[in-house]
Amino acid sequence: MSARTKALAAAALAATLALAGCQAIKQGAAGIIASTGKVSREDAQSLVRTAEAVRSTFAEITEEEEYYIGRATAALILSKYTPYRNEALNAYVNVMGTVLAYNSDRPETYGGYHFLVLDTDEVNAMAAPGGFIFVTKGLVNRCGDEETLAAILAHEIGHVAERHGLQSIKKSRLLDAFKVIGSEASRQFNSEELAKVTGIFEGVLGDVVETLVERGYDRKFEYEADKLALSFTVRTGYSPGGLAEFLVGMEEHKPSGTAAGWFKTHPSPADRLARVKTETAALGAVPARLDVRTARFAEAVKNLR
Amino acid sequence: MKKPARLTFLIATVLVVFVFLLAETVVVKIKTTSIRRDPKFTSPAVAAIKAGDTMEKLEARDGWVKVRTKAGVVGWLHSTAVETKKLDLLAMDKTMKTQASAGEVALAAKGFNKQVEDKYRAGNAAADFAAVDAMEKVKPSAAEVDAFLKQGKLGEYGGAR
Repeated sequence: MSARTKALAAAALAATLALAGCQAIKQGAAGIIASTGKVSREDAQSLVRTAEAVRSTFAEITEEEEYYIGRATAALILSKYTPYRNEALNAYVNVMGTVLAYNSDRPETYGGYHFLVLDTDEVNAMAAPGGFIFVTKGLVNRCGDEETLAAILAHEIGHVAERHGLQSIKKSRLLDAFKVIGSEASRQFNSEELAKVTGIFEGVLGDVVETLVERGYDRKFEYEADKLALSFTVRTGYSPGGLAEFLVGMEEHKPSGTAAGWFKTHPSPADRLARVKTETAALGAVPARLDVRTARFAEAVKNLR
Repeated sequence: MKKPARLTFLIATVLVVFVFLLAETVVVKIKTTSIRRDPKFTSPAVAAIKAGDTMEKLEARDGWVKVRTKAGVVGWLHSTAVETKKLDLLAMDKTMKTQASAGEVALAAKGFNKQVEDKYRAGNAAADFAAVDAMEKVKPSAAEVDAFLKQGKLGEYGGAR
């Protein structure tokens, strides 16, 4: 084996190990590369370093950071909407949402999943990063049974599981944040850093809230969340028909004028319905809708004003 | 030993040592959760754990990880609650301190945290954090979850797959 081949093989090994984050072996690997005599020790070190993970994208936002972004996003949503004071309904929605989250691709998040019904006749549902999920009273009123509400909650859980909200954060903002935050293992900022990071945090919230409340997700994320909703509901034991029924209902009530709320932030129901029907057919045998669930749904919503 | 064989042997040794060191420990990455007796969410909790706790990984199956805590409790955690801990030899070489892996950053670094939230709250009185705190307090118990599944013939009580 030539020295050059050996150097290349050692460099490849070094890069693999560096990505895996093992310092001692990395040092050894750099030594192996340098020992071939074809690469200087400094170059060998830099070869190892460039293969290391550096935070640069939404995917590297930590669970804890996602939680704090989600909390503040939820706080801003709750500055526009009031919680619906109906403990029994809220408990019902929370236990249903929890069961669906357990059957999702991401059952555990830093602060867990929490659900809240908002006191408005507007029909809408929103998911803040980390698992703060909101459905409006108007939307619950539009649901005919438990399978339908389960489909809506599962769709929102899908947005959380795939971190769609975080993907609306402008890349430049994230790079700024990661630059200030750095990688020193200290949890406290000095006052200058804190002011800077808090400024960036406000910008991050602006991006997320604008997407959730005003602009809506990219439509590919909505289609993905629909697909996940079918999967999570069926895994839980629900009939997958709820989502299609909700979309049919929304299509029938489509406003004729300028789109607002849900209609503004979501692709057209007819468009989604076509995909959902195809995906449902592909599921094969699925659980049936049961009267016992429809009855308890009716009980939970009987006092809805 | 011939030269290529020696290199192969070296690479193999390094990999074996590396895999051995890497595979054993997991660290909790969510605020709080429970270790459960069996690999399912309706199974009884055997220990409460929090972010940063480390434990020995014994086995992995269907998205769940079997662990043993430092106190010797054995049970199951969902894989989304933990991350596999990378070997941390940073202390052995102080000059390499700034080269923490992303995983270590995830668990130890400052970022958008409580300190940032407090500073943000001080300047944004309209953001209703009290309502968020109330929202977070609602957390169905394992018994409530089980009763809901049973009554609705869901999960293991029904046609789930």
